[in-house]
Amino acid sequence: MLEIKNLHARISEGREILKGVDLTVKPGEVHAIMGPNGSGKSTLAGVLSGKPGYEVTEGQVLFQGRDLLAMAADERARDGVFLAFQYPVEIPGVNNMYFLRAALNAVRKQRGESDMDAGQFLKAVRAKLKLLEIGEDLLQRGVNVGFSGGEKKRNEIFQMAMLEPKLAILDETDSGLDIDALQMVSRGINALRGPKRAIVMITHYQRLLNYVVPDRVHVLSGGRIAKSGGKELALELEQTGYGAYGDAA
Amino acid sequence: MSALAEIQPYVEAFKARPNAAEPAWLKQRRESAMQRFAELGFPTRKQEAWRFTDLQPLQRAAFPPPSSVSRVAAADVAPWLYGAAAHRIVLVDGVFAPELSAIGALPKGVWLAATAETLRTRPELLDAVLRETDALGAQPFIALNAALFADGFVLALEPSVVLGGTVEIVHLGRAAKRSSQLRNLIALAAGSRATLIETYVGEGDYWTNAVGVIAVGAGAALRHVRLQNESATAIHLGHQRVELDRDARYENFTLSLGGRLARTDIHLKFDGEGAACGLFGATLLRGEQEGTIATVVDHAAPRCVTREYYKSVAADRAHGVFLGTIGVRPHAQKTDANQLSKNLLLGARAAIDAKPELEILADDVKCSHGATVGDLDETALFYLESRGIPAAEARRMLVEAFAAEVIERIEDDAAMRAHLGHHVARWLAGGVA
Amino acid sequence: MTDTAAAHNLAPLREGYKYGFVSDIESESAPPGLNDDTIRFISAKKQEPQWLLDWRLQAFHQWQKMDSPHWAKLRIAPIDYQAATYYSAPKRQNTPKSLDEVDPELLKTYEKLGIPLNERAALAGVAVDAVFDSVSVATTFKKTLGELGIIFCSFGEAVREHPDLVRKYLGSVVPQGDNFFAALNSAVFSDGSFAYIPAGVRCPMELSTYFRINAAKSGQFERTLLVADKGAYVSYLEGCTAPQRDENQLHAAVVELVALEGAEIKYSTVQNWYPGDAEGKGGIYNFVTKRGACRGARAKISWTQVETGSAITWKYPSCILEGDDSVGEFYSVAITNNFQQADTGTKMIHLGRNTRSTIISKGISAGKGQNTYRGLVRIQPKAANARNYTQCDSLLIGDKCGAHTVPYIAARNPTARVEHEATTSKISDEQMFYCQQRGLSKEDALSLIVNGFCKEVLKELPMEFAVEAQKLLAVSLEGSVG
Repeated sequence: MLEIKNLHARISEGREILKGVDLTVKPGEVHAIMGPNGSGKSTLAGVLSGKPGYEVTEGQVLFQGRDLLAMAADERARDGVFLAFQYPVEIPGVNNMYFLRAALNAVRKQRGESDMDAGQFLKAVRAKLKLLEIGEDLLQRGVNVGFSGGEKKRNEIFQMAMLEPKLAILDETDSGLDIDALQMVSRGINALRGPKRAIVMITHYQRLLNYVVPDRVHVLSGGRIAKSGGKELALELEQTGYGAYGDAA
Repeated sequence: MSALAEIQPYVEAFKARPNAAEPAWLKQRRESAMQRFAELGFPTRKQEAWRFTDLQPLQRAAFPPPSSVSRVAAADVAPWLYGAAAHRIVLVDGVFAPELSAIGALPKGVWLAATAETLRTRPELLDAVLRETDALGAQPFIALNAALFADGFVLALEPSVVLGGTVEIVHLGRAAKRSSQLRNLIALAAGSRATLIETYVGEGDYWTNAVGVIAVGAGAALRHVRLQNESATAIHLGHQRVELDRDARYENFTLSLGGRLARTDIHLKFDGEGAACGLFGATLLRGEQEGTIATVVDHAAPRCVTREYYKSVAADRAHGVFLGTIGVRPHAQKTDANQLSKNLLLGARAAIDAKPELEILADDVKCSHGATVGDLDETALFYLESRGIPAAEARRMLVEAFAAEVIERIEDDAAMRAHLGHHVARWLAGGVA
Repeated sequence: MTDTAAAHNLAPLREGYKYGFVSDIESESAPPGLNDDTIRFISAKKQEPQWLLDWRLQAFHQWQKMDSPHWAKLRIAPIDYQAATYYSAPKRQNTPKSLDEVDPELLKTYEKLGIPLNERAALAGVAVDAVFDSVSVATTFKKTLGELGIIFCSFGEAVREHPDLVRKYLGSVVPQGDNFFAALNSAVFSDGSFAYIPAGVRCPMELSTYFRINAAKSGQFERTLLVADKGAYVSYLEGCTAPQRDENQLHAAVVELVALEGAEIKYSTVQNWYPGDAEGKGGIYNFVTKRGACRGARAKISWTQVETGSAITWKYPSCILEGDDSVGEFYSVAITNNFQQADTGTKMIHLGRNTRSTIISKGISAGKGQNTYRGLVRIQPKAANARNYTQCDSLLIGDKCGAHTVPYIAARNPTARVEHEATTSKISDEQMFYCQQRGLSKEDALSLIVNGFCKEVLKELPMEFAVEAQKLLAVSLEGSVG
């Protein structure tokens, strides 16, 4: 589903951050990308989702055999690439529900599906809300406006559940969550696991992986995948820390 | 008085000036400035910048510069002095009074002297500044000042010089129906630092027309406090022109308490990237006083920061005016500017006019302004009264707190805050209706 | 000219003969130029009573003494008032015969806005009588309104049928000499709308919804007068969301609203006159004087406007809050793109006790557009406990445009409270990316964010208007993101 080959990228007119990343993710797999601060985790998420401000200097990314990097951010999204933001953005005045419906219909159109009518949409929304224990009142507010940190993260997973992407990239979704919220978010992610969907979780800590058990774990360090392994690699890191990978902390 | 009659006394005063031994270029400057003033005449309310200013006190009588020097005893000045000052210049009716001044020992690279003295011994310091008077010429009182000024003060710091002690300038007005035409200069070269307080005080009906030119060099920092405490019958027009080079810091605090008609203008321009200014002040007005704060901040360079916060209180039949413009030129991206004007209207016949204005021509900016007008907080008043504090005292306390909140913005200088707080308390002892 | 007063009592048409307009009467238009005779011609043509002619002449004589205003922020080419034609624009040489002859760009816009096919032709200036049977529609509603005692008709008809009402209120809110353009309008106004809602009546429909095409033709110097008697309510919609094809360069309308005790008037405008092309050529100058007076206790006047059109807009819908406890509101969205310039805002004049006003202004500048909010909140000495809240937000899209905020606050009563807040910001890259990451195109993302920015104003519009206004915002901003 996703093939990253020798990916080099830098912050526009800045220093190089990714220095040759290679990674293959197959449908149905859950990958965890771990690494110390500054190792390039968020850059990788940004480059894959088409966030402005990054420049790819070398390498290739294929998504379902297509050149992902040649596509605009919204095209990637409509094609099924979803990024759960580390810092979800506030958009004042734009109703959360309205926003979600606009996004969903854009994605559905791409898939050749018809627009959801208000009734169907509401039904789908209610089912997913329950899963993430999000109050319906939250949806009547502006996008992420006045949400707590935990609510913002849950809203991201809720959007993911609604949009049903093929490839979900979760950027530090666990950061800033208390244990209850972490469990809720994990439940949401696990519910989306399926044979046709791939999930890439970017995280600094191992604790999310207790709830969402990955098939593969990679350590990103110095802009490259320094080590790959099974879920036991995460536990190993928990013991030893990132010291061996160049993080003083 | 007709327009011509208004300017005539000043034209005559100019002709009657003693033929001082001044450089030729300065004489020429004065001539052309006088001509410009004669052309412009007094501003009228049809001019946007003056529409809220009632110039009648200035128009009813003529205020030529004094022909003789007032005698002032040290004891007359004493109550106004700032105890923590390290260097002091006192000017009486716009002329340096050496016997009252205490410039003291100055570190190397610091020039502090009267303007006339500077013209005699270091004219190069003033040359450029006075040549630029044309840029200010559209304002008639600046033109008049350029023609008639006799003295003032100059503070100039060489690169990287840090002047530790506070400089104090006291302007004392004593001569009835006369004007002090002051020309002041503060020039801080790159990396230097200074703190200065200017105090304007006096007795009787005189006119202070002060023009200050301030240049803060790259990375330099100036704290500039102005305590305007003119006599209740005096007229005060104080115009500051400020230019900030890259990464410069300028802080201006104006406490305005006196004057029948008092107006402070600050025209500040960011000439280099990354500079910051803080413009703060409190204006307390009672009786028939009219007090204006007029600021223009010109963001002509990217990444500069403006913090502007003015408060005013108008009791009795007083009239408070705030005119504030923040302009952001194209390409001045990443500007961060904020302006706030808060006003208390305490008298049934008092008035407040506020015009906070934004002119934004760049898109990646953060600019905001706010203005409020209202009475004292009723719940706070009630709370104080319910604790047994008499109503008048409760009002006084709340007004003091209102002013104190902005004085708090003067960071790391408790002596200065206490000094200003003391003058606010003195003013309040006169009672607020 | 003074010796002609008696002659005016004769049949108005004779007036025309007397002043040698014979052939012009036939051709339905006055010769270019503006003088007393032009005014007499217009009045005669409209068969107006003497008092109205006198009123017009009085306005004209005031106008002659006035100077064309200057604005700091508006760049404006001088207008030659003598070259204009002041009555019944001459037959257009280039009136399209069918939709095939209409500019395809204009038609594309109609399509995007979802304007019904039969209306598109009318808006584009094609002769429509056969296509759109507006007359019968109008008549149907007129009957319903008539049963409630509501008068709603053209200004000309009102002068004929209800002269006392017109005479009582005309110019009572916007005096003839109020400003340069109001004086000009008072002298030469062509036609417009008149409505009177009797005491205690709640008008059951949004007035003018069903007249939007007809109303669009009411011309260059439109005059509107709405009176809501004690306890009455009316919601009035002006304008149309589709850009109107129009050769008139200058539009100088006057709108007067009078709300008596306990009455409420809600006046909504969507203005989308031709803004000129992307290079800044052509376009309408829209100089409108709109003012409402709350003449009794608890009266309320609410202005809502969405301004997307015109090359230059200059208007300040205002409220004079005379009655105690009366309320004034102003909700505005103004968009400028390409070379458009808008200078708009409001005046809230608080005269009565406990009067309240709210101002919410959203300015959006894109391209090389210049957007100015100019407002005045005046609290007079007798307006005890008056309250005002003002919020002005500006959004900048691109680095060639400008946003200006010029509020005046004049407080003369110590028990009053006035609060003003203004912000300027741009659409952040993060917001755009967030929307795009969820699958929205750049254009959709922009329109979504802009609509969110304007939400507080759009929610004040009647439902069907609001939907059209939202689409209009998107169309107005086309091409402003790369």
